Amino acid sequence: MLYIYLAIVLFLLVFIVWNMIQEKNVLLQIDAALVVVPLVLRLLLIK
Amino acid sequence: MEIELIVFLVMLGVFLLGNFLFKLPVSLSMAAGAVAGALVAGEGIPLRHLFEGTFVYMDTILIISTAMVFMTVIQESGALEALNAVIVSKFYKVPAVLLVLLMFIIMFPGMITGSSTAAVLSAGAIVAPILLQMGIPAPQTGAILAIGAIMGMAAPPVNIPAMLIGGGVDMPYIGFEGPLAFLTIPGAIFTVLFIGLRYCKNLDYEKIKGGLDLEIGKKYGIKLYIPIVVIVVLMVACRMLPNLIPNLGMPLIFMIGSAVGLFTGKRFNAVKAIREAMKTTVPVLGKLMGVGMFIQIMTLTGVRGYIVINCFGFGLVVLYAAICIVMPAFGAVSSYGAASVLGVPFLLALLDTGDQVVIAAALSFICSLGDLMPPTALAGNYAAQIVGEKYSKVLRYCVIPFIVCVLFGLFTLLKSRSLGFLT
Repeated sequence: MLYIYLAIVLFLLVFIVWNMIQEKNVLLQIDAALVVVPLVLRLLLIK
Repeated sequence: MEIELIVFLVMLGVFLLGNFLFKLPVSLSMAAGAVAGALVAGEGIPLRHLFEGTFVYMDTILIISTAMVFMTVIQESGALEALNAVIVSKFYKVPAVLLVLLMFIIMFPGMITGSSTAAVLSAGAIVAPILLQMGIPAPQTGAILAIGAIMGMAAPPVNIPAMLIGGGVDMPYIGFEGPLAFLTIPGAIFTVLFIGLRYCKNLDYEKIKGGLDLEIGKKYGIKLYIPIVVIVVLMVACRMLPNLIPNLGMPLIFMIGSAVGLFTGKRFNAVKAIREAMKTTVPVLGKLMGVGMFIQIMTLTGVRGYIVINCFGFGLVVLYAAICIVMPAFGAVSSYGAASVLGVPFLLALLDTGDQVVIAAALSFICSLGDLMPPTALAGNYAAQIVGEKYSKVLRYCVIPFIVCVLFGLFTLLKSRSLGFLT
């Protein structure tokens, strides 16, 4: 189950990062980055 | 003045300045408020604590994101439009039943995702033309969409304010379905009938038919609804048969439903649709991150304990008045914020007065109504945009349902002990 959930996290992360890169507004990019950081930490099992 | 109060005022002040004056997103304003609070309390910039706070909502983030993917899939596959058409064509002779069923469609995405924005933008956008063609004026239609979306946000199975309040007191999100259904279903039925029924006494089906997509249901038939059936069956089966079916968790259930939905209706570009869905979801997720940081710094600096202790000092009458007035008003900032900042201390102060799950559910219900509060008014502003009206006009028709819902929430709080059987 752990790996299934890590796959879900990775799946969501790809779309969020994609949106973050495509976003023109810097504030919204930072907003997305706030979401990306915990997802990356969870994906790497650091937290 | 105590240091905790100064820190709290600084946090709120910086948040409000950031949000209203500098027009920062809610998430960044909350993060700025949290950093300012930590600095004033002499904690420096506690990076570890800031990101520790974001992890409180990791499960919620996964649920909202995957639910949004699921909603996008069933919307793009045509299932929502087909459901709309079936309901209108079967029940147009009984306007009251038709209105109630349309209200449930508006609520559905909110129930699944826990987000009123998702409800307004997906089902709301589909139902609004039907309501307008039924003869309901645009401001009243906007009010039905806004309150329907909020009822959906508060309805089970996913109610984020209830999760936030429960998370604050280490209460698992279990047993909330009954109390939340008890609160939201009567609220939704009252609202749609109170606002809409007077305009729908004699419906002209031929006129309404123009706004319906009757072909999609004929083309794909019952299989359009398979994804919805799959998630309902999996949700129920995991609860009812824990020895046979492992607890899959809501995110995995939504992902399974989404995968099924790719093959049951219209063909569409899944990658593009999911990307668009995530674009509307990220600000909601960011807001949760901001709330998490804000609450973590409130805890670190002792502000949270200060609020809890002061809430204990209130008499019950003042406490109930604060719940009915301050909690929805805090929705002008964020209803999620209201749940975390005020919901938790209010729940702690009311723990001895009745059933804790029912109390938490009622508090979350009242918090959710804050999504009508301008200027943020997420549900309200999107609903007004959809019907092409100013939000101030829409808000006028939300007032009476809002008051009735708050009073119903208060009644539930007062009678929580005898409503304990709902959990």
